Amino acid sequence: MSIKKTDLEYIASLSKLQFEGQELKNYTRQISDILEMIQQLQKVDTKKIKPMAHPMNMNQRIREDLVTEVNKRDEYQKNAVDSEDGFYKVPKVLD
Amino acid sequence: MLGEEKISSQEILKTYIQRIAEHDTLINSFITLDADAALEKARQADQSRQSGDVLPLTGIPFASKDIFCTKGVKTTCGSKMLSNFVPPYDATVIANVNEQGAILLGKTNMDEFAMGSSNETSYFGPVNNPWDLERTPGGSSGGSAAAVALGLIPIAIGTDTGGSIRQPAAFTGITGLKPTYGRCSRYGMIAFASSLDQAGILALSAEDTAIFLEMMAGFDPLDSTSVEMDVPSYVEQLSDPINGKVIGIPKEFFDEGLDAELENKILDAIKIYESLGVKFKEISLPHLELSVPTYYVIAPAECSSNLARYDGIRFGYRHQDNGRNNLDDHYLTSRQSGFGAEVKRRIITGTYVLSAGYYDAYYLQAQKVRQLISQDFKRAFLDVDAIIGPTTQTPAFKIGEKIDDPVTMYMNDIYTISSNLVGLPAISHPCGFIDGLPIGVQIITPHFAECDLLNLTHLYQQKTDWHNQQPDINNTNDDN
Repeated sequence: MSIKKTDLEYIASLSKLQFEGQELKNYTRQISDILEMIQQLQKVDTKKIKPMAHPMNMNQRIREDLVTEVNKRDEYQKNAVDSEDGFYKVPKVLD
Repeated sequence: MLGEEKISSQEILKTYIQRIAEHDTLINSFITLDADAALEKARQADQSRQSGDVLPLTGIPFASKDIFCTKGVKTTCGSKMLSNFVPPYDATVIANVNEQGAILLGKTNMDEFAMGSSNETSYFGPVNNPWDLERTPGGSSGGSAAAVALGLIPIAIGTDTGGSIRQPAAFTGITGLKPTYGRCSRYGMIAFASSLDQAGILALSAEDTAIFLEMMAGFDPLDSTSVEMDVPSYVEQLSDPINGKVIGIPKEFFDEGLDAELENKILDAIKIYESLGVKFKEISLPHLELSVPTYYVIAPAECSSNLARYDGIRFGYRHQDNGRNNLDDHYLTSRQSGFGAEVKRRIITGTYVLSAGYYDAYYLQAQKVRQLISQDFKRAFLDVDAIIGPTTQTPAFKIGEKIDDPVTMYMNDIYTISSNLVGLPAISHPCGFIDGLPIGVQIITPHFAECDLLNLTHLYQQKTDWHNQQPDINNTNDDN
């Protein structure tokens, strides 16, 4: 199941990745091989089968809507490359 | 282990720190050591012991795969993307064992974001198998496995999403346990595939595993997939009689991909279990061969979603690109250079199978095949108490042998993946050697029957010596 380089470029853009030149060729080939392998699933008759999203039959637990967290912004922001006065700094979005 | 007071915790820590300093350059199993903090905890452990204040794991040093958040200790996930990330909190499993007195000595090397079966995708370099330095220790918990196998640490925590504890345990001759999905908390465990990931243990024996699992496992309100079930005393049940237990041998596990000599070792292991009173019968898991394609739709799909958080803004690698003043470029360059090749392959595969027009054909179809695989196991467990088979198709392979061919690498996981898809607990323990390389046998049980896995393995290990074999690093093949 081969995909085109343009397909790969589009998929990459959806996941905020970017490939060019030889790298684009290599990834196109490798992803095509992987898709070829997963094609095996197409031959299975699953008309009457329910999808299994999760290994255990669980429901989302809910709890009382009470505040349990403490604001630790300064501690959490220590890992940010660029922050100031509690804000994360990014390249300009709007002109 | 530490029960008798013949040696102090500080002496034990110093011994392990010394061994790591002497030998880890050969295998590259640790990314970060926290020796000073560990020695201080050991000093406190000795004081506690003197005043009679002893907890179940007091003074026991352990290593953690670098996928678990450890407060104040760098947690890289084997990736450039998190190479400078210092978590502000502990993962629950880490907190659990810390509270019982265990001492974290360091963070072990791993395949990047747990994606790999050979520990070759790590940003911090490959790990070498201590039994043969030219071979991989398996992955993705390769560092944890190699460190325990070489005696650099008595026990390590790892994760298993498609076999990443069991396969390296088999390749390095140690015991590796993947508990039931939901048995151990995933809070603070850096997510790869959320419906498959599970924390587990790599150790030298079922007994050590049982001691640690009792403290590590348990319900966690911070993990929405954590199961509210009491943790039994695995230690107390280790020596329960196993006469009359019935273990199934799936014919699909013994396919043409399985090395013939390895098959003989598995049959030898079966004979040992027979001598312990276990009965065997042939069973079938007809959809087993579909477990690899099913996994390689579901896991990449979940990973593409989980790794979307790495945007270089709040944490993680940010590409410093002069002249660019565009947020989109920032995302593209940070992610392109922050992630390694295998991670990018899986993100792309996952994005593709979830994309409009393909979701039904791939992702939904894979979830339905997952249901079929689950039904195979349910049916099998009506007749048998457990399932046995090889952990891997071959012994450890050479570094570089498979890294350029992703599909060949993926086939490594053929025997382990199905238990992740269905959430079943499974163990791999050593059962012999082929040309000096260890071999593992795998046992799978129904959900929450970890006590049976540990019980069976313990009695096997009382009768055999494979788990006591240790590589002699001075004689290990290390042709340069």
